[in-house]
Amino acid sequence: MSVSELFKRTIGASGGGGKTFGVRSDLLERFGQTLSRDLRAKIGFSVVLLFGLAAVFAPMLAPYDPMAQEYGVLMAPDLTSAHPLGTDSFGRDLLARLMFGARISLAVGLGAVTFGAVLGILIGLVSGYYGGYVDDVLMRAVDVMWAFPWLLIAIMLVAIFGQGFWNVMVAVGFAYIDDFARLARGEVLSIREEEYTMAAKSVGLGDREIIFEEVFPNTVAPLIVQFTVFTARAILAESTLSFLGLGVKPTTPTWGALLGQGRGFITQAWWISIVPGIAIMVTVLGINLFGDALRDAFDVKETGET
Amino acid sequence: MRRYVAKRVAHAAVVIYIVATIVFFAVRAIPGDPARVLLGGDASAEAIAALREDMGLTEPLYVQYFRWVSRIFQGDLGTSVFSDQSVLQMLMGVAEPTLSIAGLGMVIALLIAIPAGITSAVKRYQWEDYVATGVSFLGISMPGFWIGIVLLMVFADQLGVVPAFGYVSFRQGIIPWLEHIALPALAVGLPYGGILMRMTRSSMMEVLNEDYMRTARAKGLNGRLILFKHGLQNALIPIVTIAGILLGVLLGGVVAVEIVFGIQGLGRLLIASIERRDFPVIQGAVIVISFVFVFMNLFVDIMYTSINPRIKYGGGD
Repeated sequence: MSVSELFKRTIGASGGGGKTFGVRSDLLERFGQTLSRDLRAKIGFSVVLLFGLAAVFAPMLAPYDPMAQEYGVLMAPDLTSAHPLGTDSFGRDLLARLMFGARISLAVGLGAVTFGAVLGILIGLVSGYYGGYVDDVLMRAVDVMWAFPWLLIAIMLVAIFGQGFWNVMVAVGFAYIDDFARLARGEVLSIREEEYTMAAKSVGLGDREIIFEEVFPNTVAPLIVQFTVFTARAILAESTLSFLGLGVKPTTPTWGALLGQGRGFITQAWWISIVPGIAIMVTVLGINLFGDALRDAFDVKETGET
Repeated sequence: MRRYVAKRVAHAAVVIYIVATIVFFAVRAIPGDPARVLLGGDASAEAIAALREDMGLTEPLYVQYFRWVSRIFQGDLGTSVFSDQSVLQMLMGVAEPTLSIAGLGMVIALLIAIPAGITSAVKRYQWEDYVATGVSFLGISMPGFWIGIVLLMVFADQLGVVPAFGYVSFRQGIIPWLEHIALPALAVGLPYGGILMRMTRSSMMEVLNEDYMRTARAKGLNGRLILFKHGLQNALIPIVTIAGILLGVLLGGVVAVEIVFGIQGLGRLLIASIERRDFPVIQGAVIVISFVFVFMNLFVDIMYTSINPRIKYGGGD
């Protein structure tokens, strides 16, 4: 049992002035409650689950091979029978491409935010906990990262390291490091002064134990909300890069790339661009709804940084 | 106050300098030899070597770096490898369409976000709130370039009310200029407006709970007057700050939207320059964009520090 947990149980104090919750189990409980009570959470979660499952099981569920070209049905608006969402300019089934595209788009989105969150939270925890010189240096580095608009970082990173799944993931995620670092640092600063942190120090716990056992669990609520909101944003970012031809690989079906390919055929076959766009919108909307419900449930204030 | 401003400006200048340095080395890490790209696949090795010499690429990196830094301090961003034009001139040439779209996009976003956000906060949990929040959710969930494609399809292609492609300078008339940037500006403005509306709502809701608002109401002041004079004035501060921070998001949106509408702006130039390995142009573009971004935010910061006496200068971040 961590010191903060002990504090909660004995004194019943809620860490961070009601902003955060003392312990992880409390958080999980809230999570479950939100999911069972909040309509936004229900809708959002179902949408994300649906798209997630479609992505994971795409090889089994997709009606066609996403790369198979059928010359008889180029740009078919065949919305009823064989190709429920029609075909593209090479006669490839759009539903299958959409499902396979979901794999890349969702994985890059999640991976990018995870990358940004892990690095950013580490920087923020260390910076906020140690303060002083360490804090100064790390925060100046964060300022520099912040000074690059995200698309510039992403374009430069893809230009330097080349296209590909991992590179795009890092390129998108890089822009989130500074946001997570700032948020984590701010939380730590408010928690550092909490009684249980002092108590942990006074009973002789080491810095690393205090950071990971006491401080981090108490910063989790706002970080989860930020993670959710940024996942939505990362999916949009990935689609932008793919649309610009700087995504995973031009031939791989991703939502942004499908959209880009359809752009030239808007007049003849609008659905090639419109359908992937709707997929992006519905997914991102689902994640945002879910994030919003979590924000209310965890009582996290909306900040402009997100 | 003066010391605070000086400190912030110095800080911003250091950030820009580090950004520029990172960009210089990052650009040189982009694989591909600009001389080879410029001369094409079947150029002789001698010709490439000669051109490399000419472009100063054979010198050690640190010599190139210091030469470049000293030029930047003289306001010289170098010359494009590709077109022999000065980088500054090229950037000025494409700045107009980009700034026009970003500017009008920002205006559209604020025009939607502020009234909608206030209504939403005042009519909290009533149908007005649900409609406004729902629409803003849709706005932040769509990629700007896709909104652009949809707008293009409906208004340019089907209805034919505005031209679909290209850009016309405002010097050739305000109406044709607006016609060309209306759709791109909407495409970048809607998602940005969605974010700002949510911020306005939460900021306004917080202000509505403040003591001075209750006092004003208790004094029996007119509701509308309270809302605009006391409420909005205070709620605007975080909104303006956030508008500045989100400029980066807006700029990112403009790049993709320029591609959709075939507009020769900063975004197109940047992407074309990366394809051509045109180092000076890439460097120049990134530095100028970061410069604008950092100083816009600094400006906003100082502005609101000076309007709001509650904010302390100096201490902390």
